[in-house]
Amino acid sequence: MSSRIPIVPENIKPLPLLKENEGMLSWVASVDHKQIGIMYLLASMVFFVIGGIEALVIRIQLAQPEFGFISPEVYNQMFTMHGTTMIFFVVMPFLIGVGVYLVPLMIGARDMAFPRLNALSFWLVIFGGILLYYSFFTQSGASEVGWFAYAPLSEKPFSLNKGPTYWVLGLLAVGISSVASGLNNIVTILTMRIKGMTIRRLPLFVWMILVTSFLLVFVIPVIASAFSMMLLDRLLGATFFTPAHGGSAILWQHFFWGFGHPEVYILILPAFGIISEVIPVFSRKPIFGYEFVAGSTVAIGLLSVGVWAHHMFAVGLGNVANLYFSLASMLIAIPTGVKVLNWVATMWGGKIYFATPMLFAVAFIIEFVMGGLTGVAIASAPIDWVVTDSYFIVAHFHYVLYGGSLFAIFAGVYYWFPKFTGRMMSETLGKWHFWLTIVGFNMTFFIQHFLGVMGMPRRTYTYQDFPYWGSMNLVSTIGALILALSILVFIWNIFVSLRSGKEAGNNPWHAWTLEWATSSPPAVHNFDLVPPVRGRRPLWDLEHPDTPDEPNAKVV
Amino acid sequence: MNIWQVLSSTWNMEPWVLITALALLVGYGITTGFRFTKLSALYILGVLIFVLALVSPLDYLGRTYLFSAHMIQHILLLLIVPLLLLLGIPKALAERALKIEPLGSAMKVLGNPIIAWFLGVGAMWVWHLPSLHNTVVANDNLYIVQQISFVLIGIIFWWPVFSPVESRRLSPLVSTLYLSSACLGCTILGMLITFAGAGLYTAYLNPADSIGILPLLRGELCLTPGVDQQIGGLTMWVPGCLIYLVASMVTIARWYGAPEESELIPNSGAGRLATASHKNK
Repeated sequence: MSSRIPIVPENIKPLPLLKENEGMLSWVASVDHKQIGIMYLLASMVFFVIGGIEALVIRIQLAQPEFGFISPEVYNQMFTMHGTTMIFFVVMPFLIGVGVYLVPLMIGARDMAFPRLNALSFWLVIFGGILLYYSFFTQSGASEVGWFAYAPLSEKPFSLNKGPTYWVLGLLAVGISSVASGLNNIVTILTMRIKGMTIRRLPLFVWMILVTSFLLVFVIPVIASAFSMMLLDRLLGATFFTPAHGGSAILWQHFFWGFGHPEVYILILPAFGIISEVIPVFSRKPIFGYEFVAGSTVAIGLLSVGVWAHHMFAVGLGNVANLYFSLASMLIAIPTGVKVLNWVATMWGGKIYFATPMLFAVAFIIEFVMGGLTGVAIASAPIDWVVTDSYFIVAHFHYVLYGGSLFAIFAGVYYWFPKFTGRMMSETLGKWHFWLTIVGFNMTFFIQHFLGVMGMPRRTYTYQDFPYWGSMNLVSTIGALILALSILVFIWNIFVSLRSGKEAGNNPWHAWTLEWATSSPPAVHNFDLVPPVRGRRPLWDLEHPDTPDEPNAKVV
Repeated sequence: MNIWQVLSSTWNMEPWVLITALALLVGYGITTGFRFTKLSALYILGVLIFVLALVSPLDYLGRTYLFSAHMIQHILLLLIVPLLLLLGIPKALAERALKIEPLGSAMKVLGNPIIAWFLGVGAMWVWHLPSLHNTVVANDNLYIVQQISFVLIGIIFWWPVFSPVESRRLSPLVSTLYLSSACLGCTILGMLITFAGAGLYTAYLNPADSIGILPLLRGELCLTPGVDQQIGGLTMWVPGCLIYLVASMVTIARWYGAPEESELIPNSGAGRLATASHKNK
């Protein structure tokens, strides 16, 4: 055995190279929020590619009727793993990671409140991912019961393979990680703000991370307990969710969607935050109605925990319950609409600069509103009965999660990449990425609305040769291939820009929040000197001492 | 009987309600010296809803036939009436009242947010224990105690958020947390009642049908015990929660509207200017 125990090196450079002496160790053992943030982003990128390949396999199988590209069992594994991966290992880690990177910088802090807990949160995601994907190597492959794992299908007599067990274990690890990072964010934002950064002056991204963190802390325990019960059922013969032995299968649905619907907002609120940062900067105007954007976030957070049963209209909860949940679900459109109006009003009369982040932000508004509108439609129980479990629903939530969350993520990557790395991303490649995404995304998913209304069921490995179904599915599959190409362009852009991108400088976009006040990439200790905070746009106040945002803040 | 006859014939002018309402109004008039402001309108509206909730068909139906009618009355008395009364009390009056012992020290204890929260949420949970509720609807005196306790506890619950004396209020973010956790408490109870299955409150299963409207309710209006209980549970859950939600929106709006000084400044060392240092820790 070697006697040399590696000592974790003291960080000197903001981004140590792997090939340097103990470069690997300085990443793996890091408790620096910026390194952990970048590792989150890289991990979510890797999982994004894996989940994307699974999506492609699904789309290829569906490219023509009665196609035998993969077996039904593999198909089931693919859509289960695709959904699980994209939600728990792509969008969540990305948004949490970008939060971990930016929140301390935006509030002028040195690091998160609990740096080691932060590292633990990250490594638990990796651990969970390994557990989840390890299931592919077990005897009968990965989980086949969908990302929602409805009981009793996910229970012992119906799923004897090990897939669902690994699935539960992996997601439990991610759940613990999410609660930990939620707590970490809350404490950081409440206690580590620099003088002058009052809560009313928080950048909207930080505000939305705060609300999301409260959601995480409140709702993840719901699913974590349900996961534990499912594990007890599967491993120790408990019967929480098996009706044959006195359990209740519907109870699983209540637990799952009691978590699952707030989860949708956990996936979209930080995305709203990104958009609320990007749009003002590229419109050269302060955000319109800061108070309304912030307040409506709280309303969305509160409403989101009380409407989950709209995922269960087809279960038979009774007309009264359906009616109440329809109404409550439609109410969420109000605070969301308030946000959309505020973003549009921010752009109105602004000097809009269509760099790639802004392109994605504008496209976000359009695509997200489309997803939102179909959402209001299916909040009505009778419409839901017609289209539930059809491709209409698939189209709806891909508009919300791809057209919403992922477009915001792309906007965020193009916007903050200069800060993360010190280099600009290529605008040419960025525009290629953008337009390929727009074409590919809409081609893949818009047509699925029609397929759904025509009755094509989701989660089914093939379909009969009904009129137009084959050609419409082929269009969707070609769209998915274009989307895959757009991702390749995106990844290529990241590589090219890392090697030979233009030097970014501290503040390439002339933005106003504190993270742009430090060097790019930020020094290990974040700031040499934090500018004074006397309003919501500290860097604007710094550059324009005569016309600060808050007139009474003029005093030096 | 059709529905209109039911609604017009089941008014019940309870003397104690009218006397209490009169006392509330006269007391308000005397203590404010009959100087009415915009706030007084809220107070008077509160008294009016108090009376309506207790003399209208809501009271009769809620006590004999329909759990859902009881729930609407419950939400009005616990959440709406106390809020309006509290909002209608002028600051000067409240300050004077708090100087009177033992009211002042009592409100100091009861107005503690933790106690107020547990009283507010506890009032919902305890009064809806099935056996207790079944007893209460059959007992006149207990029934009166219950209704009065709703209003009093409601005032205590709203006190930390909407106290007329600003210094007694919680900071806006804590208020939001206070309200959203209370919303969670009422959601869970509403959920239990909604999904518990019919017959949780046996008093409504076979009510003594003294005015002969049961066929109308059960048949024509489809208010079977199961549906009735679901409406009751959902009324607590969804509209009940919306009241907390609107209240948090109001506190947030008030917060953004107030001048900046009123906000707490972080006092941690981490928030100070970071100085140049290449040390990691």
